Amino acid sequence: MIYILNRLLSLALTLVLISAITFAVTNILPGDVAMMIMGTQSNPEALAGLRESLGLNDSLPVQYGRWIGGMLTGDWGTSLVFKEPIGPLLLQKMTASALIVVLSMSIALICAVPLGVWAAVHRDRWQDTTASTAALLGVSLPDFFWGIMLILLFARGLGWLPSSGFADPGDDFLLALRHAFLPSLALGLGLMAHLTRMTRATMTGILGQEFIRVARAKGLAERTVVWRYGLANAVGPVMTVAGLQVGYLFGSIIVVESLFNYTGMGWLTYQALLNRDIPLIQASVFVIAAVVMLANLVVDLLYVLVDPRIRLG
Amino acid sequence: MLDDMPAPLVEIDGLRVEFRGETGPIVAVEDVSFSIAPGETVCVVGESGSGKSVTSLSLMRLVEFGGGRIVGGALRFARPDGRMADLSEADDGTMRNIRGNEIGMIFQEPMTSLNPVFTIERQMTDGLRLHRRLSGGAARARALELLREVRIPEPERRLRQYPHELSGGMRQRVVIAMAMACRPRLLIADEPTTALDVTIQAEILALIDRLKRETGMAVLFITHDMAVVAQMADRVVVMYRGKLVEEGPVGRIFAAPSQDYTRALLAAVPRLGEMRGKAAPEPMRIVGADPGMARSLEPAARPEPLLEVRNLTTRFPVKGGVLRRTVAQVHAVEDVSFILNRGETLALVGESGCGKSSCGRSILRLVEPSSGSVTVGGTDILALSPHDLRLARRHMQMVFQDPFASLNPYMRLADQVAEPITNFGLARGTDLTDRVAMLFDRVELPRSFLRRFPHELSGGQRQRVAIARALAANPKLIVADEAVSALDVSVQAQVLNLMMELQADFGISFLFISHDMAVVERVSHRVGVMYLGRIVEIGSRAQVFENPQHSYTRALMSAVPVADPARRTIRDDLNFRPIPSPVFPLGHEPGPSVYAEVGPGHLVLTEPGGAA
Amino acid sequence: MKVLRPFLTPKGAIGVLLVGAVLVIALLAPLLLPDTAATQMDMRARLSPPTLAHPLGTDQLGRDLMYRVLLGAQTSIFIAVSAVVMSIVIGLPLGIVSGYYGGWTDNVLMRLVDTLLSFPALLLALTISAVLGPNLQNTIIAIGVAFTPFLARIIRGEALRVAQMPYVEAARAAGTTDGKMILRHILPNIMPPVIVQSTISLAFAILAEAGLSFLGLGTQPPNASWGLMIQASRDYLDRAPWTALVPGAAVALTVLGLNMFGDVLRDVLDPRMRGRG
Repeated sequence: MIYILNRLLSLALTLVLISAITFAVTNILPGDVAMMIMGTQSNPEALAGLRESLGLNDSLPVQYGRWIGGMLTGDWGTSLVFKEPIGPLLLQKMTASALIVVLSMSIALICAVPLGVWAAVHRDRWQDTTASTAALLGVSLPDFFWGIMLILLFARGLGWLPSSGFADPGDDFLLALRHAFLPSLALGLGLMAHLTRMTRATMTGILGQEFIRVARAKGLAERTVVWRYGLANAVGPVMTVAGLQVGYLFGSIIVVESLFNYTGMGWLTYQALLNRDIPLIQASVFVIAAVVMLANLVVDLLYVLVDPRIRLG
Repeated sequence: MLDDMPAPLVEIDGLRVEFRGETGPIVAVEDVSFSIAPGETVCVVGESGSGKSVTSLSLMRLVEFGGGRIVGGALRFARPDGRMADLSEADDGTMRNIRGNEIGMIFQEPMTSLNPVFTIERQMTDGLRLHRRLSGGAARARALELLREVRIPEPERRLRQYPHELSGGMRQRVVIAMAMACRPRLLIADEPTTALDVTIQAEILALIDRLKRETGMAVLFITHDMAVVAQMADRVVVMYRGKLVEEGPVGRIFAAPSQDYTRALLAAVPRLGEMRGKAAPEPMRIVGADPGMARSLEPAARPEPLLEVRNLTTRFPVKGGVLRRTVAQVHAVEDVSFILNRGETLALVGESGCGKSSCGRSILRLVEPSSGSVTVGGTDILALSPHDLRLARRHMQMVFQDPFASLNPYMRLADQVAEPITNFGLARGTDLTDRVAMLFDRVELPRSFLRRFPHELSGGQRQRVAIARALAANPKLIVADEAVSALDVSVQAQVLNLMMELQADFGISFLFISHDMAVVERVSHRVGVMYLGRIVEIGSRAQVFENPQHSYTRALMSAVPVADPARRTIRDDLNFRPIPSPVFPLGHEPGPSVYAEVGPGHLVLTEPGGAA
Repeated sequence: MKVLRPFLTPKGAIGVLLVGAVLVIALLAPLLLPDTAATQMDMRARLSPPTLAHPLGTDQLGRDLMYRVLLGAQTSIFIAVSAVVMSIVIGLPLGIVSGYYGGWTDNVLMRLVDTLLSFPALLLALTISAVLGPNLQNTIIAIGVAFTPFLARIIRGEALRVAQMPYVEAARAAGTTDGKMILRHILPNIMPPVIVQSTISLAFAILAEAGLSFLGLGTQPPNASWGLMIQASRDYLDRAPWTALVPGAAVALTVLGLNMFGDVLRDVLDPRMRGRG
């Protein structure tokens, strides 16, 4: 119980820090919001008036306070590019990206873990060499490269799946899935390669430990030794790595969504950055960082379930 | 033991095991043959690299999992139907039938022998369910029975627990229970007590002996400790560098070894009790070496104190919570006082967690003591500023336990030995190189080693470098913190002799920290026994060893195995109290140490009482 | 030397070859090839597949892809190397101070670093680049700053590990001052894992530069980099997929080479030196 409270306190502190860093980074910008709204040719007086009304003449800490206050009360500002309130916009786009993230993580985990264990068991033999080489290739190719290959193959070449666009899961789940599939695969392949390497390394370490020898000395079948005794110990570390990869995914998602014209969170952030839509940049970056942090927190809490040594700590 | 030769249970015949090396196959075991009769204990003894572990792993055919291959010889084992099967050719199914069923095995590291994420019950019952086809309930009942057999208190509670909730000794009992589950006819024990404290070791040895007598099983016991061999073995097999050197009944091997290696091994082992009546520490017997220095180790007529420790207390904070506040304290060293005279050796002896290491570190201020005073050569160490402390360190040096980790892997040995000299500006240029070379000579390392790196040397050689480094600045005091514990017996003897020579030549005082009573008996002038952070008994070596007064000292003495098969002290009625935790809540103030003087300079702790 | 044996394995050899080849190309191509090789347009031969005249094909402006990819190596490598060097220059002192001294400094610094790690590196780099205005210099700064937290954490972990080793305690007992300790004991012992990590970071930096340029927030024309080439090929994927595949393969091969090299480097540097010989 105390452990959970500690983590929540930590969480709050980190959220504050994240918001501060986000604010700091986006506000080193030269040029200002007012000019962006009205255009560079506009009337200086009107510009000054707009600046005043947007509160841009106040000091940075005050602006920061205003932003935080706004967020806490549900007012996330208005996007300069989309001319819409940011809150609902974020929610919608976040849902879209969540679909991709969940899909790609699932694909990656389901394939990578067994592959990694298999490679570790057959360490240094042909099975290991094949799997490890394939994984090495997988992590060396950039995500958008996978994306391009997939587009060429499945969309243009075979025409099975759409290569761009997005459908709201709420409206038509199957269609949404079809649109989400290729982007998820593009992200998932690189992720799968990385997780395979990690799983293999973790399992190799575990299989070298004494309790594995003891299990064999009891006469247990090798299958049991590896897949029950061994894997049970690998779940924790692999889960941690997967959690860290969520952070990486939310970075790559910007590129992949762009490539596929999939209008999710990554695409939104990209549009914001390209057009210097400061309110939207601030909000998107903050939300993404917060989500990544939450994902890692969830992993930490789940770890308690997986490793009995942590429970009583 | 038996006069009529019954059919052997195990017959190892010409075993040869190889491993894949970088430049070709490495032969780990070469042409080893011996047999084990039913119900007999055979101890395979040897130093590191002797191949003793590999031999036992081969019998279980576990050696293949570590990259080894049995390339020659036979491993004959008597199956229940009476026929001898050659295990080196048995298939996987047969081996799995035998493992954990007809042959049980226990290993060295109790801390890592159990799966950290499974309950004790699960780990104990899966063997039973496999080999005996017991249902869940029946398996659990049997597991409880087994836990009681190995004398684990509160067995029902233990079943529900996870390994990290049990102490090292208890974990080893669980491992033994697991190995005994199916009543094997042979138990292979690979260094099962090496990682345990001496009192726990005594209990585990007694346990194995009792189980052997009750079930009639044979035991193949692998160890490097000749004292354990003397206590446990019916027959002894001596191995060296993969070859079998000698074998025979334990009495004959100890009384009349026929091979040089066996003789050297036995000579190097200190035996508890053999210093009775001797005034001074005595060098170890190394076959062929000159023991002429014993004279000069006698204590000086008028002892001159070098190190005075008064009421030393060191406590470590235990941190918790988000803000990392201190929630409790570990009372590592509690009100310790003693005097070490010039040119003498004071030993601090005790089991793990007793605070002896922390005491040594506190004296050197490598950790900061909480209160008390430490005076070296008249200087109050605890009152020094950081700058003055650094300069004072010149006179007090330390040799650490792990020869691998106490040397910087990336620094040449000469530079590391020179470091104290350059730090204190004691010499430079050719003067410096000469001094370093002379130090290497003194610790009997060839000058060609000067330019080498630590990974090119063996453990014993590295420890010599560490000693050379400790000597470099001409200290008056050297703290040897388990300095020989990680070394093979023969190497240990050489390093101990080196230390005693240095004491005789330079008048260095040693604070010798160790858990090995027999070694301590050889090298010390005075001995202090520590328990839970306090000195429970202190006096001259003769006083403490020949007339122990404190209950804990007596318990410790009774637990140490004696390297003499004619004096078997294993008793199953041993019941040592587990060492309580030294962690106390913040603000807890335990009372001061109160001593009674039972002889000249011989003090025994009377308050607080209740140890062992 | 026996130590270099891991480099003789297929993985090691390929790794060394790839990395070596890329380095050589990056350094020599701009010196050996004419300046105009990458910018010479031939509108009659635009978007042509690989032929003898243009072994790797041409892009939408008729520029020879082979020359562009060879010359682009310099930009991409230069950016990646500069960014990683910058991360190390910032991260090394931070990590060492944090790991060696511990205490409050460590707590505060690591909390900051951990928070920064919640920001996906690519996102951070993109934001910084957008904020500062994308050009060559700012791309380096963006990637460098984005990678610093990760590297700092690794360095701090290693410094912490080494600071607790008995030989550091032994050196302290021998009267070694903090400064000498860091220089002679801490630094040499953390360098091997840091070097391995830097190699891996180099690989990521190349991927990051490609990603940033692909999104238009990295290198800008007239500088040619591989990422920029891929970005330019977006509209022509149907007609001329090689315009994307050529620079993509260049990135992939470089990153692959660095990953292989890094893996093998790890084997060479770590176990031998830690005395398990």
